[in-house]
Amino acid sequence: MLRRRLINWISQNGRYFTSASKYKSSICLENIYPGSSLNILRSVQKPAGDGTNFTGYVPIEQLKVSYSMASGPGGQNVNKVATKVDVRFHLKNAQWIPEALKEKILEQNPNRITKDGYFVMKSDLTRSQQLNLADALEKIRTVIKAAAFVPAPVTEETLEKIRKRSSA
Amino acid sequence: MTSSGVDKALSLVRNLPRISFNNLRDSVGKRKPRERCRGRYGGKTHGCGQKGSEQRQAYMRLGHEGGQTPFYMRFSKEPYYKGWHLQREYLPISLHRIQMLIDTGRLNPEEPIDVTQICNTKLFKLDPRKKQYGFQITDEGADCFDAKINLEVQYAPEHVIAAVEKNGGIITTAFYDVMSLQAAVDPEAFFKRGVPIPKRMLPPHDALVQYSDPKQRGYLADPDKIAEERFILSQKYGYELPELSQDPLKDMLLRRKDPRQVFYGLMPGCFVSLRDKKVFAPKDEELKRFYEIN
Repeated sequence: MLRRRLINWISQNGRYFTSASKYKSSICLENIYPGSSLNILRSVQKPAGDGTNFTGYVPIEQLKVSYSMASGPGGQNVNKVATKVDVRFHLKNAQWIPEALKEKILEQNPNRITKDGYFVMKSDLTRSQQLNLADALEKIRTVIKAAAFVPAPVTEETLEKIRKRSSA
Repeated sequence: MTSSGVDKALSLVRNLPRISFNNLRDSVGKRKPRERCRGRYGGKTHGCGQKGSEQRQAYMRLGHEGGQTPFYMRFSKEPYYKGWHLQREYLPISLHRIQMLIDTGRLNPEEPIDVTQICNTKLFKLDPRKKQYGFQITDEGADCFDAKINLEVQYAPEHVIAAVEKNGGIITTAFYDVMSLQAAVDPEAFFKRGVPIPKRMLPPHDALVQYSDPKQRGYLADPDKIAEERFILSQKYGYELPELSQDPLKDMLLRRKDPRQVFYGLMPGCFVSLRDKKVFAPKDEELKRFYEIN
């Protein structure tokens, strides 16, 4: 209420109001970050993969997210609040996963793929829908990263050690 | 026309010289001369009592209880007490509560919501003198939060930031030192004091890191980096960042205080006269330099 009154008086002293709204002290953001755009809403470029590596970027709009009630103890809360999260996407049609990784994902996670070819990830880790969604996405990223994992080539020294060990 | 008492008083104020130390005086009876210990009633023991350590001026140290373990030594020093007097407290408000305040019309989502607005609801008791430095938002009710607001608080965890930004809002964490907070918490009482609006001080060095961190949406962080963090958080929590560039409330959402400002639309160093409904800005060069007014 006071704020409304204040706005009314200040708008009457229009010249003063404009100078106050343009007030820039010595520690304003323009002085602290001289080279910055200072635009909090600037569009951020999505990380572009090179076709073989998974960057970690998941296009949320291409996932099918559904919510349901979780199981286990919890009384009225667990019976009524839809905190369990089910995230699905069609693996073959997912353009954000490099083609080379899709075979590996199929191999390593046969239990996660449905007959129709949908990759399914569920989470009911926490009491919060949003945190469960974050958990599901984290698990998806882990699965894809595990498929993308290429162990380091065995070095000459290691081979030598193994040969020595077996011969001794 | 007979001049009334008010007119006489006003003419006095107009004609009398400026107040300074050479024309000020204490009220009568406020300063009494010290009574010396002389004569029949002030003499003999001269206010020092009878015998003992007190008359002999051999006082025991403060807190000494004659040998009994004194109060200040009865309790062991614990490491978790260290720095307790320097600890800052932030009163928690849940997102559920904020949503309820907006739904019931106590908070206006079309104006920036800061400490002053939350305190103006008169539902929260924030006392800067009790080392309470502001509000923190907890994540209770994050699942059903759907208000688009420009929120400025003192601390918010990641989940809360995600919940606010998911709905197209903007959240900032800002620091208010004790003097500025006292003004912000009760602006009406502050203006009635007739004291110029203070310039907000920088946070103490242990809090400076937090308030310069784009991850915590600090008010001293680079907005460029905050834009990046907004995207990262949207990827983490699984939502699409709403497009705000064409939003009609964009200007309100982007509205931010200068790090030295306490109130939106008011510069430090200004007086606000509620009675005259006027705002007085400093004109003196030294004051302008101090309050960083260009």
